[in-house]
Amino acid sequence: MTTHGADVLDDSLLQHEAVGSDGPVLAPDGHLLIVGAGLAGYHVARGVRSHGHTGPITIFGDENRPAYDRPALSKAYLTGAVTEEDLHLDDPEDPVEATWISGVGVVGLSGSAVPAEEDGDVEELPAPLGIYTADGQFHAGDAVVITTGASALTLPAAPDSSQPHVEPYVLRDMGHALALRDATLSGAEIVVVGGGFLALEAAATCIQRGAASVTVAAGEQYPGAKRLGHAVGQAIRSALEKRGVQIAPPSRARCLRTATDGHEVLLTDDTVLKGDIVICAIGAKPRTEWLANSELTFTPDTRAVRCDDSGATVIPGVYAAGDCAQWASHSSGLRPVGHWQEAVEEAAVVAAALTGADEVALQEPYFWSDQFDLRIQGAGRIHLANQVEVLDGTPEEHNLLVRYLRDGQEVGILGINRLRDVTKWRKQWRIRGGKSRMTAV
Amino acid sequence: MSFRACSLQDLTPGEGLRIDSVQPPIAVFLTEEGTVHALDDTCTHQDASLAAGWVEDCRVECPLHESTFSLETGEVDQPPAKRRVRVHSVEIDGDDVLVELSQDAPNLPPGVTA
Repeated sequence: MTTHGADVLDDSLLQHEAVGSDGPVLAPDGHLLIVGAGLAGYHVARGVRSHGHTGPITIFGDENRPAYDRPALSKAYLTGAVTEEDLHLDDPEDPVEATWISGVGVVGLSGSAVPAEEDGDVEELPAPLGIYTADGQFHAGDAVVITTGASALTLPAAPDSSQPHVEPYVLRDMGHALALRDATLSGAEIVVVGGGFLALEAAATCIQRGAASVTVAAGEQYPGAKRLGHAVGQAIRSALEKRGVQIAPPSRARCLRTATDGHEVLLTDDTVLKGDIVICAIGAKPRTEWLANSELTFTPDTRAVRCDDSGATVIPGVYAAGDCAQWASHSSGLRPVGHWQEAVEEAAVVAAALTGADEVALQEPYFWSDQFDLRIQGAGRIHLANQVEVLDGTPEEHNLLVRYLRDGQEVGILGINRLRDVTKWRKQWRIRGGKSRMTAV
Repeated sequence: MSFRACSLQDLTPGEGLRIDSVQPPIAVFLTEEGTVHALDDTCTHQDASLAAGWVEDCRVECPLHESTFSLETGEVDQPPAKRRVRVHSVEIDGDDVLVELSQDAPNLPPGVTA
């Protein structure tokens, strides 16, 4: 067994009383409502079924399509290598038993947070647990899981635009990807705003689609260097440049201006990047506006639903997972938010908590990205590192292996085309059952 | 008709070896228990080499995602992969690992052709 670094933050930061410790939160024949038909929502449904839940499951999605997997939206789906059907999460030969209500917005949550004890007064009855849909209907449930994800952020319009503002392309859902897939990318001059993996993948895909030029406003000279270390930033930059992607000056994008002959991205150093098409991939914000009148609590900055590390919110029977939620270990800085793997693992934790199955531990964070011939995989608490060490390879050869340390102790690894090494690391650090060292409860 | 895929000496216990002299490429695994198995190398969900995956309890886990495949039957246990990989017959002749390719159609991931 590897020696693990001590948690950097006090474990007692967030105490949360386990709800329903006398048995499962959701009786085996209870009705489970899942709001949000994405990765986390699908996996919660699948998870509770695998734990023997027999009661009805209703999944609400605002898109008129079956649940699908998003990572390919910036890659293989945009190049046309895979179809929408290929991205469906559910297996038609072994479908999860649930009722899908698609294309109906969910507009509100009903349910009461645990009331403070009052001196023997008879309390008014707690609000019934359930949700309201846009058509005015109330749907009662025995438990509610919120998995509404996040919506794409974009840049504001320049105050001095003389033309009506045209929104840039974003990449978050199938509708966005469809719009970009149908756009004439071939021969176009394209500006991609953002320095994260989504932006870089989109840039690589635009080159593959035959764009005349692709410029990335990453906000740093070596994309990814701030988060992942200089060597990784160098490797990414060299791979992008080799294939013709240009990296804009390392200045933040400020706003967008629609001109008569295209679009302009204005950077804070007053650089103006002109393009026929602008793609914004500058992050996302939790989709929780519909919960504004509920008794849930939110993070002050991002308005994510606050949960403990089982996904439980302050309302008994209401859980949240995936990009709309911030669990205790996210709040305390132990885990990053927004990865595919994070949504899948949280769904498994919630499914176990709902059904009273054996507790599931969150594993070390993990992410991957494909850009041209780079397959980048990172694992561990990279965001907490204060030292980066190249273990093998060079940025130019696309075979880099780096490890991350915090105060001298290894906390993470990243490999470029090093699948075997990253797999080994993840398995050495795997937690089997019991409490995760990654939780803050 | 079998072919010599590799030598036993080429294999490391608990790991896979990618053989790309055939299309689609296959992976030969030597388990910690000493058994040898041959499967299609490409995960059925997305283009990733199973030879680089984790081998345990006679299963290999895709190095990208969560799905694991049985080394004996090729069956997949959980999403995101939905379809099994082909299993090829293996025969050991001295040091030689002889593989007879399955006649089934391969379940390659979308966007990947043999």
